[in-house]
Amino acid sequence: MIQKKICLLGASGVGKTSLVKQFVEGIFNEKYLTSIGVKVDKKIISLAEQQVQLMLWDIEGQDRYHVFQERYLRGAAAYIIVVDQTRTISLRQGIDIHTLARQSTNCPAILAVNKNDLPAAWRLDEDEYASLAPLFDLHFSTSAKTGEQVEAMFLAIAELLHGNKKNDITT
Amino acid sequence: MTSQLNHVLNAMDQLVLEVIDSKSGTVKLLGGDNDWVKALFPQLCPQQSFTISDNTPFLLDFLHDARQVWLGQNDARIRSGLWTEVTENKTELHLEAIAIKKQQKNFLVITNQLEEFQLQQHTKQLARELLLSNDRLCIQNEYLHSRLLSIFKQPPQQSALPTTLTKIIENAEFCVIITDNELTPLVENSAARRLFKEDKPFQIQPDKPIDIILKLMKNQLPEYDRILSTKAHWNGELCWMSPPATLKWLKISLYPVKTKLNEVENWIVFANDISTIKYLVQRNEQLALQDMLTELPNRFSFWQTLEKHITSGKNFYLLYIDINNFRRHNEFYGHDEGDKLLVECGKRIKSMIKGSDFIARIGGDEFAIILTDIDHRKACEIAIQRIIDNTKKPFATSKGETFTVSISIGAANFPNDAQTAEDLMKFIDLSAYNGKKNNKNTIQFYSQSMRDTSHQLIQLEHELRLAIQNNELELYLQPIVDLAKSTITKAEALIRWNHPTKGLIGPDKFIPVAEKSDLIIAMGEWVIQRTCQMVKKLTKLGYRIKISMNLSSAQVTDNSLFSYLHSCVEKYKVDPCLLEVEVTEGVLVDDYSVANKLLSKVRTIGMSVSVDDFGTGYSSLSYLKQLPLDFLKIDRSFINDIVTDDNDKAIVRAVIALAHNLNLCVIAEGVETKEQLHFLTDNSCNSVQGYLFSRPVQFKNFVELLKNQQINGTD
Ligand SMILES: Nc1nc2c(ncn2[C@@H]2O[C@H](COP(=O)(O)OP(=O)(O)OP(=O)(O)O)[C@@H](O)[C@H]2O)c(=O)[nH]1
Ligand SMILES: [Mg+2]
Repeated sequence: MIQKKICLLGASGVGKTSLVKQFVEGIFNEKYLTSIGVKVDKKIISLAEQQVQLMLWDIEGQDRYHVFQERYLRGAAAYIIVVDQTRTISLRQGIDIHTLARQSTNCPAILAVNKNDLPAAWRLDEDEYASLAPLFDLHFSTSAKTGEQVEAMFLAIAELLHGNKKNDITT
Repeated sequence: MTSQLNHVLNAMDQLVLEVIDSKSGTVKLLGGDNDWVKALFPQLCPQQSFTISDNTPFLLDFLHDARQVWLGQNDARIRSGLWTEVTENKTELHLEAIAIKKQQKNFLVITNQLEEFQLQQHTKQLARELLLSNDRLCIQNEYLHSRLLSIFKQPPQQSALPTTLTKIIENAEFCVIITDNELTPLVENSAARRLFKEDKPFQIQPDKPIDIILKLMKNQLPEYDRILSTKAHWNGELCWMSPPATLKWLKISLYPVKTKLNEVENWIVFANDISTIKYLVQRNEQLALQDMLTELPNRFSFWQTLEKHITSGKNFYLLYIDINNFRRHNEFYGHDEGDKLLVECGKRIKSMIKGSDFIARIGGDEFAIILTDIDHRKACEIAIQRIIDNTKKPFATSKGETFTVSISIGAANFPNDAQTAEDLMKFIDLSAYNGKKNNKNTIQFYSQSMRDTSHQLIQLEHELRLAIQNNELELYLQPIVDLAKSTITKAEALIRWNHPTKGLIGPDKFIPVAEKSDLIIAMGEWVIQRTCQMVKKLTKLGYRIKISMNLSSAQVTDNSLFSYLHSCVEKYKVDPCLLEVEVTEGVLVDDYSVANKLLSKVRTIGMSVSVDDFGTGYSSLSYLKQLPLDFLKIDRSFINDIVTDDNDKAIVRAVIALAHNLNLCVIAEGVETKEQLHFLTDNSCNSVQGYLFSRPVQFKNFVELLKNQQINGTD
């Protein structure tokens, strides 16, 4: 079976772990438990012709207590930059991480603007949006809480990567 | 393998594997057989080798790094960092792998790091929750600040105001105090009383929160007087110690609420208790002396170092660097970009000074530097120039827009200018503030005359405020002649000040003062209102004359300008086609996006837009194309010599061609001779303005000019 490694990156507390939990187990937890190091989850997705196993690398938030480690991106077929729409600063941090990540990989990048069940602290005007959108191959407005766009996002990523054999880890 | 070794490894919660084949990741157990080991590798049997598989994907990935070590020549080791593995029976293992090469043997050690994991989890959990709550606090601060400002802006219903304010601030989680202009509190919330409640057993009269805050500021901030007298916004951290039991770290924000005439009506004061954040930070000695954002030494570290240098008695220069218009930048690009600019700026400055020099971030957009081993002014100037050169280069936002900033540097020498830390700081603060006035990169060394100048300016600002109130300003009109029609179709409104004792004062003397003090907004509104009245009068007299008014950079960035313009148009019922706004090329470049937005709006209601001083150095043609413009005004400096100077001829021809290409009309300013006029007519310039036709004149004289319409220059 085809396996694809997908990394979740972003500042701490944006909801990386929650997105994975919602997608893999269909569970959401209000309580914040910060991640330490890396945890890899797997989930099989059925596409039209075949199945793809996603290896989801949930990586500890990148902030002043944990610096970005580019080696975690090795072999990644795609990475998701998660930002928290209630905190504008997380968008900047996300873009910074994206810039760093781009120095070590050219794989597709996805932007997930998470917590869309809560009021947004910022609103992108058209110009800003126009300059931000091209940085990413796909973008989604997600909620790990309600599950909105979570499955859709991972499915779209799997479809995007499907056929792109270059980054298969094993078969 | 002795069972003794196995015991030890189990006690250490470790598992040691010998690497059989590093390429495929085949390993064999050497020791360690705790239960978690079996859970991690169910396939593991003693004496039998096995291959690491994607059952443990993190470990499989780590083999890439491990091979670097194993295939190398020398003894080495590499760690994987912590990871979490979930076993078949759903328990979580917190592990770390170490690849080791020792005397030509390769090992893979896996350690169960539960304790380390829990420790990190515990501290980082706390730290990150604080980080998040700090973010939340900042958002709340900002939100409440703008909410309060909008209330103050509403038409006054004084009686209801305190009740409204009390309602709004009561639920804030932090201390909020609103005072009058004298800093006497009008309302405060209960968080304020809670925060400043002291545990003194027999205290009779507790100090008022505002008094405590002001006392702390006075004692801990040398720039305290300047902040109040210049009505500046300030925020920063202060330490409140009140024996026996009180020690709190406070984040204080002080915002002035100003009238249009730049007088402070109220102060808004926020105080947040950040002791827990500080405490956490202080547990790490290095962080405590560091500014969180730029990672440079912070204000406290700076004071310590400054005191040390003073005690050593050696000659040094103290510099104070302040980013000009940082606040505007912050508001325009957003606070995150502002933060980014500070970080980058700090880096650039730091890269320009010697390792033995000292740099700290001592306030919002303020840096201080101690230059040692320099004993004469020339050397200090060279060092400063290096800093300026390096900060002059463009910065980029995270979206890739580039922009430039200028800085003001104040400098003072120890021991020549001052001998105490407080005085030195006061002096360089004053120097930088003085240098700031022209918004360019400046260096100001402290001098005695500085105090006097600063007094004169304060005086002028004061008189200007009165001038607006007492109607001492007057709008003059200078005609603009349409060359095709040979008639006056337009006029530029120019402001003059009839000073009661000093006589007529030109705008070059007082506009800069107005711009510095925000009086420019009130003055600009006066101009708009007056212009509308004039257009209306002219229309009544039967003349359809357009009047253009100049907008300064501060007006362009003022959010309320457009609605003011619009309301005046409605109030005086003037045809907006008879109004034009004029901005300089410099403003367009500096405030590109805001200008763009504003000008587009202005044009949608029918007004036209012209660019003043065109050609004076920015030549931002690519910008021009995208901006909503109607007219280009060629700067007078090109017109002066067009008859004699071939270079200027070529430039003017090119500008006219360019403008026509972009569907813009061209106005030539400063036309004084017939020869100049002929040249412009021959080259299809659209309109002209200058002494050849008329100086700027008072309204009644302008009407005379219209009546005669026998303009001197047009034969
Ligand atoms: N309302 C809402 N809350 C969310 C959402 N996603 C995450 N959260 C909450 O946000 C907090 C942080 O979520 P995590 O998933 O732990 O964040 P993280 O990015 O993994 O954080 P680190 O591991 O520290 O980097 C938790 O309290 C979650 O309950 C969401 O979509 N909506
Ligand atoms: Mg997490």
